[in-house]
Amino acid sequence: MSDAVLDESRQVLGEAERLRDRSERRRGLLLALPSFAYMVLFFAVPLVIVLVYSFATRTSTGSTSLSGWNLDAYRKLGEPIVRNVVVRSVILALVTTVICLVVAYPFAWFCATRTPLMRNLLLVAVMIPFWTNFLVRNYAWRILLSAGGPISDFTEAIGIGETHILFTKTAVVIGLVYAYLPFMILPLYASIDRLDRRMVEASSDLYASGPQTFRRVVLPLTMPGVIAGSILVFVPSMGAYVTPELLGGGKETLLGSYIVTQFLTARNWPVGASLSFVLMTVMLVSTIVYFRSGGKNL
Amino acid sequence: MSEPPGSELSPAAAVSLRGISKFFDDVTAVDHVDLEIADGEFFALLGPSGCGKTTTLRMIAGLEIPSQGSLRIFGDEVGPLPPNKRPVNTVFQNYALFPHMSVADNVAFGLRMRKVGRSEIADRVAEAIKLVRMSGKESRRPAQLSGGQQQRVALARALVNRPKVLLLDEPLAALDLKLRQEMQYELKQLQREVGITFVFVTHDQEEALALSDRIGVMDEGRLLQVGTPEEIYDSPVDRFVADFIGRSNFLAGTLEDPVTVCLNNGSRITVPVVDEEIASSGAPIQVSLRPERVMIDVADAAPAGVASLTGVVASVTFLGNSIVYRVTLDWMTVEVETDHRPDLRRHAVGDNVALWWRDDAIAVVRP
Repeated sequence: MSDAVLDESRQVLGEAERLRDRSERRRGLLLALPSFAYMVLFFAVPLVIVLVYSFATRTSTGSTSLSGWNLDAYRKLGEPIVRNVVVRSVILALVTTVICLVVAYPFAWFCATRTPLMRNLLLVAVMIPFWTNFLVRNYAWRILLSAGGPISDFTEAIGIGETHILFTKTAVVIGLVYAYLPFMILPLYASIDRLDRRMVEASSDLYASGPQTFRRVVLPLTMPGVIAGSILVFVPSMGAYVTPELLGGGKETLLGSYIVTQFLTARNWPVGASLSFVLMTVMLVSTIVYFRSGGKNL
Repeated sequence: MSEPPGSELSPAAAVSLRGISKFFDDVTAVDHVDLEIADGEFFALLGPSGCGKTTTLRMIAGLEIPSQGSLRIFGDEVGPLPPNKRPVNTVFQNYALFPHMSVADNVAFGLRMRKVGRSEIADRVAEAIKLVRMSGKESRRPAQLSGGQQQRVALARALVNRPKVLLLDEPLAALDLKLRQEMQYELKQLQREVGITFVFVTHDQEEALALSDRIGVMDEGRLLQVGTPEEIYDSPVDRFVADFIGRSNFLAGTLEDPVTVCLNNGSRITVPVVDEEIASSGAPIQVSLRPERVMIDVADAAPAGVASLTGVVASVTFLGNSIVYRVTLDWMTVEVETDHRPDLRRHAVGDNVALWWRDDAIAVVRP
């Protein structure tokens, strides 16, 4: 076959490939259309509404006027009351995240080093709480932590007296850790599972002790899982509403309940909307930054 | 093997294994291995996959703990010590370089873990990188390097620690043929340069023959024979060894006296002095006959006074530099390889031929 003929046939083939690619893309779009429409209708549109309301004005009667566009609601976010709420929520979310990380890492390591059957059993065990309603689980914790509840009975029985955990920050953290621990375990498990065991052997062969191997080799190589898990725990902890209300007794206002209050009680929709929007933007940006920096672990 | 019991280890032994066994559940991976590797030696553990060679290496490295036996490195018992407490370093199969570190950080890792001074680390790392000809690539990540370059970094990462023994697990298996041959040569050069004892594991007999001072051949957890490449090739003591290294014909027979074998067809042949252990057992033996050591010519051309076998050429295979004949005797088939040279007679299928060999060209082996 001469070169000219070869070239031509190559061109024909290339054209056929392009056509096939295009039709495949079209079919993919068609398949994605329902979920795409759903996302637009129930996520993008409400988001735009929230954004619009955040620039609106609260009238003296407590209704919201869309006529005068301004940044008052955003200015209000700088006030000490809001700032305290934010700081408190961030600290609580950080504490929750760190505890989740410390609890989940050894467990994920244990899981990833078991036989395949054992792994699956353990991972199913992690997922089981999800099969119970979230509210029911929170009420269960209320009973467990209440004065005169099982935990209090136990501490009394062993002689350290009654405990009053319910309606404290501790109770909120316990509830949040319990709720979000699986979100930490699963990405950690995935990245530990992917870790080449010979890395550990090589490190040990090069005179590293156990803790040194963990810090210099294992932790850096499983960092995608650590970051993914931390985002998955930190983000919902920041905006948590049900758990702080039920286990914290609403004694200290956190972001979630502050936003709810703005909408329902204070009837200040613009502030609630602006706070929601800022919170979401911060979370979104940090997640994007993470994915851009090479994390691929969700 | 024939050492008197209770004899002290020679002080020069870099690695000494005494009755080393390793069991995984009910599987015996390594079965009573006795081995001494001398200081400065380039030693190969050779065998098929699953023969226990890698487990043996891992026990020397400390990555596995022996189930039984004594393991010494330069006289010090190291059996239960973890890898980070042993004066050995390993070049892992597929290298196991740390992907999140640069070449220089990979090489510096061991020194940093041992808290060597900063300026000394810099000097030694530069020296090691230069030794493996990777200068200028210090800041690259392992993923940016070719297989051969990763191999060199792995060598530098181990050698920079100046281990007393360097262990290499199939160091060349991941490379393609041409690069492998190149690296074989480099590895040999490197070992001469640094003068460290190298112990390497391979399933490639050519690699073992080309590189090592001595070879230990393993099968099913047992160490069958230890010797120089020539000894292993010329005087195998076990059928497996003769078969695994090069090709061989096996003629069954019994030993009549230390230098005479009665083959199963009734003919008697003279053999080189036989290993005592085989001679004393009285069991049936086999004679290993390398195809290229057999002379072949027309039926009446065998020199007088030499034991010869006669047969018929069953097939002729031309291999370029050599020709392989399969010759059917009345009791077995023998493979013969001759050079392809114009001055040698070519035989055709169906020709009657005579086969003979020098007495020292054969070896008596355990069946």
